[in-house]
Amino acid sequence: MTKHVIYYIFAVCVSMGLLLLMIVMADSVPNAGGQPHAEHPGMVIGADGAARLAHIGSLAFVFNSLLLTLVVGLCVLGVSERHRSQKFLAGMGGSWLFMLVIWWMMFSTHQEFLLTGETDYFMGFPVPTAWQMYGTWLGAVPLIVMYSYGFRTFIYTCEDEAEFNALLEQAARNSQQN
Amino acid sequence: MEAYRQEIIVGSVVIYMLFCVATGLWAMRRTRNSSDFFVAGRGLGPIVVALALFSSTLSGFGFVGGPGLVYSIGVSSFWMVVISSTGYAVGFFLVAKRIRMIAELRDCLSLPDVVAARYGSDAVRFLIALTIVLGVMGYLATQILAMAVVMQAILSGTETFANIGLVSCVVISSAVLIFYCVTGGIIASVYTDVVQGFIMMIAGSLILMTAVSVFDGGMQEATAIILADDSEAIMPFGSAGAMASLGWFFVFGLGLAGQPHLITKMMMNKQMSDNRSILPMSLFGYVMAALLWISIGIVMRAAVIDGIVEPLALPDDAASTFLSIFANPLLAGVVFAGLFAAIMSTSDAFLNIGTAAIIHDIPTALRGRSVENELLWARVVTVLLAIVAAGFALYSHYADATLVALLGAFGWGTFAASIFPVVAVGLNWRGATVAGAVTAISAALLINFVVQLSSIVLPYGISGPLVAFVTSMILFIGVSLITKPPELAPDIEDVLRI
Repeated sequence: MTKHVIYYIFAVCVSMGLLLLMIVMADSVPNAGGQPHAEHPGMVIGADGAARLAHIGSLAFVFNSLLLTLVVGLCVLGVSERHRSQKFLAGMGGSWLFMLVIWWMMFSTHQEFLLTGETDYFMGFPVPTAWQMYGTWLGAVPLIVMYSYGFRTFIYTCEDEAEFNALLEQAARNSQQN
Repeated sequence: MEAYRQEIIVGSVVIYMLFCVATGLWAMRRTRNSSDFFVAGRGLGPIVVALALFSSTLSGFGFVGGPGLVYSIGVSSFWMVVISSTGYAVGFFLVAKRIRMIAELRDCLSLPDVVAARYGSDAVRFLIALTIVLGVMGYLATQILAMAVVMQAILSGTETFANIGLVSCVVISSAVLIFYCVTGGIIASVYTDVVQGFIMMIAGSLILMTAVSVFDGGMQEATAIILADDSEAIMPFGSAGAMASLGWFFVFGLGLAGQPHLITKMMMNKQMSDNRSILPMSLFGYVMAALLWISIGIVMRAAVIDGIVEPLALPDDAASTFLSIFANPLLAGVVFAGLFAAIMSTSDAFLNIGTAAIIHDIPTALRGRSVENELLWARVVTVLLAIVAAGFALYSHYADATLVALLGAFGWGTFAASIFPVVAVGLNWRGATVAGAVTAISAALLINFVVQLSSIVLPYGISGPLVAFVTSMILFIGVSLITKPPELAPDIEDVLRI
């Protein structure tokens, strides 16, 4: 299945392109990209968050979900086909779900705030922003753990190293002959 | 100590510049050939590479532009920072191993060398080298100008240099930059990166502590003040909105693996297995340093809204105003030295890859071989490139900002859109073709140029680089799929399999 990972990556990229097109063609909202602050020059305000997401909220959610899928797909592509074991794929699947859950929590708590106008705080930031800041930063930790701790299992095994060293020796012999 | 604030700041910057000069002289003794000059002889340890990698990621923009962006558009700009973990992960999964393998196997000195080896095509080598040269000019000019403007601001606060002009500051800062770049090449760059990395980490954590103490209620009080003024500014998508934010997530996150000055450093480590520790170390350093970006921006926006601080003339004044009002003079000195360090190391990295493109890659693409006596020419072209960039910087400041703004379009976004598919995907997919690569690079350059030239504003804050990046990914894979897979050289075939 992972032999064809490039096709999945291609499908995700095309879907993201189509989503961008749909967003460009969606009903426009004045000042969706922000407007100048009335009192403080240089500051931009977002104003009505609900209005800004009215036509594109679900499209933006799907766009970022696809982006997270693309991230994981690219990480799978970066690992040699012969090392894409069940264990590796399970780890990648778990990482993908972890990132999606964080993204969902960020998006849904923001939606909740837009409805109620109320929010709790976590470590200095409103909860939706805390999900964005701490969550997004931590979201890729499983990928980093898989890379660092799985380095000799998935990324560059001892067999890979031996094979590469043999390649280097072959290249050295070839250059001597030439 | 407060009475000597300006002297402490100037002293810190002078000490850092003297350190740069000393590093250049030390590194010159270790630079014996062009391989040492461009890729440090592929002999660097993991801590050096990790610090060099993250400190090159966070240029002067991170110190000046970053807090300014938070002040201006709130949390939107956080997305450029918080994607770092994802960006580094993708970069290491896709690039770190294979770029290092090809570099050693084919004795590559530059990114275009690696690309040419992978695709067996001088056309792709030429296009990547051209993209690098265009990007380098824009980046360098803005970095030199930023360095000179900050230097003028610092020196004009002293009695002796109260009337110093911008041209003098450009000359002083460029002279130091040129000296240590020319003498020490990339070896000088990476070792100043190490010091810079430590300074940035220390500055980031100390600044966070200072920022938290500005309001009695800490960071929560600051964010609550912003929330009461305009809730969207402190919500996850910030003032610029969802698509601008997510676009940055895409371009700055994935795009990290398309930045030539960063991925070239992935060719320099001595042991392949060092990558397992370089990744977490780089990320840790970046996160610590980025605390400065986030905390200064938030506190300054809240302080101005709350009336503690007068409104800033420019958002980019956020960091310097914060330092002058809230920071201990010693901390301000450390941060200003860190700012110069950030600008210098990024500039050096760009000078290095730009010089390689001019003396090595473009001649090789056009006539099949590099120039004779590469090391000598590397030093000559480094000087010329820095002088031309300094000229651009002054021209843009005094006469017409269009040229540098245009070259500036070839910044992070263009590198991401044109280089990421060809390098990051191409090094991991045997089916990638020359036609796919040429189409993707050309489309990325064209879209970024057109959007910049015609000042097209897309709805919902969608940026040109985002459109360019998605398009180039689709074209790269799509065109490769419908064109005949290339016959790869046997050694490259083996590298792509390992």
